[in-house]
Amino acid sequence: MRGMWIVLQRELSAYLTSPVTYLISAALLFLTGFVFNNNLVLSITVAPASPASVPLFLSFTMVFFAPLLTMRMFAEEKREGTLELLLTAPVSDIEIVLGKFLGAWVFFSLLLLVTLSYQVILSTITQPDYGIALSSYLGIWLYGGATLAVGLLFSAITENQIVAAFLSMTVLLFMYLGDLAGQVVASIDLARIIRTLTLQGHFSTSFVYGLVRAEDVAYFAGIIVIMLYITVRVVESNRWR
Amino acid sequence: MIEVRNLSKRYGNHLAVDDVSFDAQAGEIVGILGPNGAGKTTIMRILTGFMPPTSGTAKVAGFDVMEDSLEVRKRVGYLPERVPLYPDMTVREYVMYWARLRGVKGAKEQVNAVIERVQLTDRRDSLIRNLSKGMRQRLGLAQALVHNPQVVILDEPTIGIDPQQVIEVRDSVRQLGQGHTVLFSTHILSEAEQVCDRVVIINNGRVIAEGDPARLRAQLQPGEYLFVLIGGASDADARRMLERIPGVENVEAQGKGFNLRARPNTDIRPAIFEHVTRAGHVLLELRPVAMTLEDIFLDIVGKAG
Repeated sequence: MRGMWIVLQRELSAYLTSPVTYLISAALLFLTGFVFNNNLVLSITVAPASPASVPLFLSFTMVFFAPLLTMRMFAEEKREGTLELLLTAPVSDIEIVLGKFLGAWVFFSLLLLVTLSYQVILSTITQPDYGIALSSYLGIWLYGGATLAVGLLFSAITENQIVAAFLSMTVLLFMYLGDLAGQVVASIDLARIIRTLTLQGHFSTSFVYGLVRAEDVAYFAGIIVIMLYITVRVVESNRWR
Repeated sequence: MIEVRNLSKRYGNHLAVDDVSFDAQAGEIVGILGPNGAGKTTIMRILTGFMPPTSGTAKVAGFDVMEDSLEVRKRVGYLPERVPLYPDMTVREYVMYWARLRGVKGAKEQVNAVIERVQLTDRRDSLIRNLSKGMRQRLGLAQALVHNPQVVILDEPTIGIDPQQVIEVRDSVRQLGQGHTVLFSTHILSEAEQVCDRVVIINNGRVIAEGDPARLRAQLQPGEYLFVLIGGASDADARRMLERIPGVENVEAQGKGFNLRARPNTDIRPAIFEHVTRAGHVLLELRPVAMTLEDIFLDIVGKAG
């Protein structure tokens, strides 16, 4: 797993030295800050401020941010030709994929850590439910990992970053909004099945309300494993062309 | 050090490499020659463990590229045709990255030494995006050498850089021969002639000739070539006269004179002198033309294709 660490470090330093990531991060923090503020204002009259408001908002924005964070990872290596060199280094394909995925996930975790400042502010104003804060952050952390894994897969499929981002946004949007289809089908059983397949079905009604269910954890972990497995296969396929 | 036996690679219906066999001994510089699309890159990609062959075997330092891919990859330094770089890294970071990925011990000293070797020490903290094309080429070479591999594989290392840098790269390839086995591809024959101990000529995926450049030339030269310049005769007259000389196989205009091809093992110089003076013309020039590998190559490829 030595190779995985080296790839991980490389990806992290690529994030931290790229001006684009700072722009993306700034936009993310600006938007979450806006949501948090709004939540505070509403708490005066409408409803008590919820520690889950920012994670809930992030669950939607990850549909767009995850692809932006991962689109570069394989697409650029392919375009620059470095993938060929990487695949001739004494490192297994699994290590390369894991290193890249963990690099993205660690960076996302750093961003999440910054948004914890909202929780600190909240705790100075009111007495928030720390259980909900914890579960919603655990939830969005897993949720983020799953969306990043989807983004990574599409980055491996094409050498065009825009195409990679577009495809993964489309798929993530389906996984996010699939719930809507569940609401209009006549059969309750079918609706239930659809809901268990969507991202929202495993987040907005459990983690957000302080529920940590094994099935939800398994869902996100499953998506990560499946997506990474396919990514490894796709990366391998570069050798056969 | 490199052992290739009956190697074939098929892409769909296209046979890119067809039953290729050759060897490279330790410390030898072997050039793979061939026109674009001949299958050079494919052979190199198989030897670096990037892709598996369809059939046949390839061994590097005794390890099979299929069965011991990771062992092979540890022992091979590879510079693909398009130099693979991360524009956002500095020179040192880049070389360090590959050194660590390949498990180099004492990476720091090794990295500094190899950067010194490719003369990029004064640019070691520059971003790669700011380097010139020749510097990038040298940096690519540094990456291929940083783990001190037994075998160095260079895919068209002199393409797209200016003549001065071409000479530098050739020099460094020649120096690599001390201590490394070098396999490098080119479609420029004079380059192979200058640099290689041995050349393998490939066309349409097949080996069509192999040997050391000088012997290859001797072996393949189909006859003797002479350049003749005649004074006092019109071109048409001179040509007609030359074509009548026994032993002359072919006459070709070359500037103001003619290139003659004589039948092998015949000396036609006395006959030429005799014919020219008897017709009352003056023989201004008569000299043998050394055939370059270029000519031989075109000859062979022409026949094979």
